[in-house]
Amino acid sequence: MKKVIVIGGGAAGMQAALRLRARGVEPLVVERETETGGKLRGWHVLFPSFTPAGELLSELRRRVRESGIEVLTGATVTAIAPRRVTLSDGRCLACDAVVLATGFTLFDARIKEEYGYGIYDNVVTSADLERMFAQGRVAKADGTAPRRIAFLHCVGSRDEKVCQQHCSRVCCITGVKQAMELRRMFPAADVFNFYMDMRMFGPGYEELYREAQQRCNIHFVRGRISEASPTIDGRLQIKAEDTLTGRPLRMSVDMLVLLVGMRANDDNAALAASAGLARSASGFMAPRDLFLGRVSAPVEGIFYAGTVTAPKTLGETLDEATAAADAAAEYLKA
Amino acid sequence: MSFFAPFCLPFMIGAAVMFVLLAWKWGSWLWRLPEADKRLVAKGIFTRATPEAVWETVRESLLHRRIFRIDPLLGYMHMSLAFGWFLLISVGWIETVAYLGLRYVPLQGHVFFKYFATGLPHKPAFDFVMDLLLLLVLSGVALAWFKRLRSRALGMRRTTRHVAGDRVALSALWFIFPARLAAESITCALYGGGSFLTGGLGAWLAAHVGVMPLMTAETVAWWFYSSCLGIFFVALPFSRYMHIFTEIPLIFLRRYRLRSGEKQSSYDHFQVEACSRCGICIDPCQLQSVLKIDTVQSVYFLRDRRYGMLRREVADNCLLCGRCAEKCPVGIDLNTLRVNSRDALRNVPDERRYDYFQGLDRSSGEGRVGYFAGCMTLLTPRTMQSMERIFEAAGERVWWADREGGVCCGRPLKLAGETDSARRMMRYNTELFRKHGITTLVTSCPICLRVFREDYALEGIEVLHHSEYILRLIREGRLPLGRTTERLAYHDPCELGRGSGIYEAPRAVIEAVGELVEPAHTREEALCCGSSLANTAIDDGQQVALARNVAEELDATGAGAIVTACPLCKKALGRGTATEVRDLSEVVAARIRPAAGRATK
Repeated sequence: MKKVIVIGGGAAGMQAALRLRARGVEPLVVERETETGGKLRGWHVLFPSFTPAGELLSELRRRVRESGIEVLTGATVTAIAPRRVTLSDGRCLACDAVVLATGFTLFDARIKEEYGYGIYDNVVTSADLERMFAQGRVAKADGTAPRRIAFLHCVGSRDEKVCQQHCSRVCCITGVKQAMELRRMFPAADVFNFYMDMRMFGPGYEELYREAQQRCNIHFVRGRISEASPTIDGRLQIKAEDTLTGRPLRMSVDMLVLLVGMRANDDNAALAASAGLARSASGFMAPRDLFLGRVSAPVEGIFYAGTVTAPKTLGETLDEATAAADAAAEYLKA
Repeated sequence: MSFFAPFCLPFMIGAAVMFVLLAWKWGSWLWRLPEADKRLVAKGIFTRATPEAVWETVRESLLHRRIFRIDPLLGYMHMSLAFGWFLLISVGWIETVAYLGLRYVPLQGHVFFKYFATGLPHKPAFDFVMDLLLLLVLSGVALAWFKRLRSRALGMRRTTRHVAGDRVALSALWFIFPARLAAESITCALYGGGSFLTGGLGAWLAAHVGVMPLMTAETVAWWFYSSCLGIFFVALPFSRYMHIFTEIPLIFLRRYRLRSGEKQSSYDHFQVEACSRCGICIDPCQLQSVLKIDTVQSVYFLRDRRYGMLRREVADNCLLCGRCAEKCPVGIDLNTLRVNSRDALRNVPDERRYDYFQGLDRSSGEGRVGYFAGCMTLLTPRTMQSMERIFEAAGERVWWADREGGVCCGRPLKLAGETDSARRMMRYNTELFRKHGITTLVTSCPICLRVFREDYALEGIEVLHHSEYILRLIREGRLPLGRTTERLAYHDPCELGRGSGIYEAPRAVIEAVGELVEPAHTREEALCCGSSLANTAIDDGQQVALARNVAEELDATGAGAIVTACPLCKKALGRGTATEVRDLSEVVAARIRPAAGRATK
């Protein structure tokens, strides 16, 4: 039986492995962490349906387990070739093809120092907030409930100042979803979303956005926050411009949520260099063709699944994993 | 003895044209100097400044000491041409006096003395000295030719692309001395005389060429020599060679404390036309070396400004990092000229835009020491947080000028050429400082520091960069610090180092908390982080490319962290490296020993 190494055991990696197995190929999932699941592990509920992320995760894991797919955890890949994968401990794994499903790296909000992440209390990222949701407790650092919350969209996305020109696509809808969740938790709180554009491209997104405005009374302000600073009474003062009214704006809030974007995976450069693969200007892997070769690398025998090539939603990632596995299976048949 | 021959005409006409033009240029520039500048000249002329200026003229206009420092061979080339020619003229004058006694000799008589002196008894000593000097100049010309082929051998990677007028003047200059050699040698061949060079060549010609061809050649050679001189003199006031005569008054005026300012003035002419377009400013420019932009460097900026064809794309595309000014052999104040060009190109103040200043005061706290964060420090709040801890540990009572937001120091607008708007901000902040009665003003931003020191009238208020303030606290024993062995690479901010001359204070502070390491280019030679707010022409991608280039050098030191003392540099470098970049105040605040240690002191 032909063997394919799937690098990355997140949603894309697991789905690709399942599809390969269904097509009669032997997959081996190599995961850096001690368990599979990737970024999915950090999420509470999924947009736009508020489906618990745990449901999807355990279903994927169950299928992987029941298919008898071999998973190698705690293994970091340092170099790839179509028929060989090198691990950081020096081991070389032989195979017939490789599916790269290593995903993305979350933008480090500390780089946007003006928002005070890691400096002031009560400045959190969307990933932190998701963790708080999962733990069932959202509160200020002093344990009290926030009365006014601001979300800031596009932190580390569409921002030339931090070399991230691309749109991360999922943060707009995540901001809507998280705002609605906070609204449910704290019915008396004011929730503001500061945005550049609201990009509601997916099924049900626009409806959710409308619901957030009309039913949940969440305020959407078009304008980026320029800076945050602490106030004497322990709140945060934010400065922004409401670009629809053309006026500068100052506001004190109890919590500032930074919707951090997707950055190209930090490992892309080294892996691309090891196999002679091209990366796009944003650092994501460049597929062979933007239309007819979206899941193939320019090098024969290497395939891409999920956000290793660009920011994607979970649904798109799962579809693409299937497509990548199919492409790999066809390649092995030839 | 008559001192005229028809071949003298090109020289005589050229020299006359040149002197008339020079007199007109100098006269009108001096006449149009602002009253204040004229008073400075009047005040300075009978002081030590004048002999000092004479000595500087000898050093720089003749000997070219500053060019020697850049490259000895390049220095020799310029020195041999300038000083050699000067000696040829002055020794030549002494020679005519020695031959003829003190009597009037017209200019062409001095210049073409060898032609006219054939009937006089020879003085071999003068022949020898004059030949030696001619050889000196010729060696410079040979080097100049060689530089065209291989500029690197003379310490220059890139040289200036010249305009047509400069090429004419340059060609004429290159031919002047070979032509003189030919003319004098032929005359020696016919009439004897000369020393090892002209005499030797003359003897060889006499042995190999007939008298009749030599007679014809003599006329042609002297005509050619005179024409070269004439062409060069006519071209001089319009070409780069105007620097020969402009640098001299520039040196004197500079010694009388005349300076260019944010508005253009007549004094600028002296600076602009003193540029020799040597192109030494091209190599240090990071826009050239990293971004391959090669049309905006100071040499091209001054050229475009001089000929009235300056465009905003050129004026605005400069980091004002000062790396070129540091190397300029004429010492032209390149950054200020760039700023006042920008002012002339776009200073269109919006009268109502800053009305909100009226009655605005968001400052907080009370104390004799004021802290001005500036816009960029507000965007790097770790610095502000660290300063707060430092003030607290030192027990300093502080008035916070702009912690809750304030008005910009004005320098960004000034550098962009909007000097009138900038002045409104400066007036606002000055009044704010006065109102709160501070005696010391500390800022963590070198951009603010520079404008406070250079443009604000803050008599009675000591302005300190936080590096200087922190160092003072350490030296006074008010800030107990624990030292570690962490290796910290220091990046000199342009506005702090070259701009304000502060190199030691931040280094001393770093050494108080860790081990200081330095990148390849440091102090006066330090590279610009690339995000200078003075450059409004390059885009973010280009800024990042510059930052990566700088960060590469800093990372090569193997330091655990990069330390700088400017919030803008910090932001910029952070984009170019994965290594942690910290402000000086952060490394200090992290090493403050607990208060108990201070109490026992």
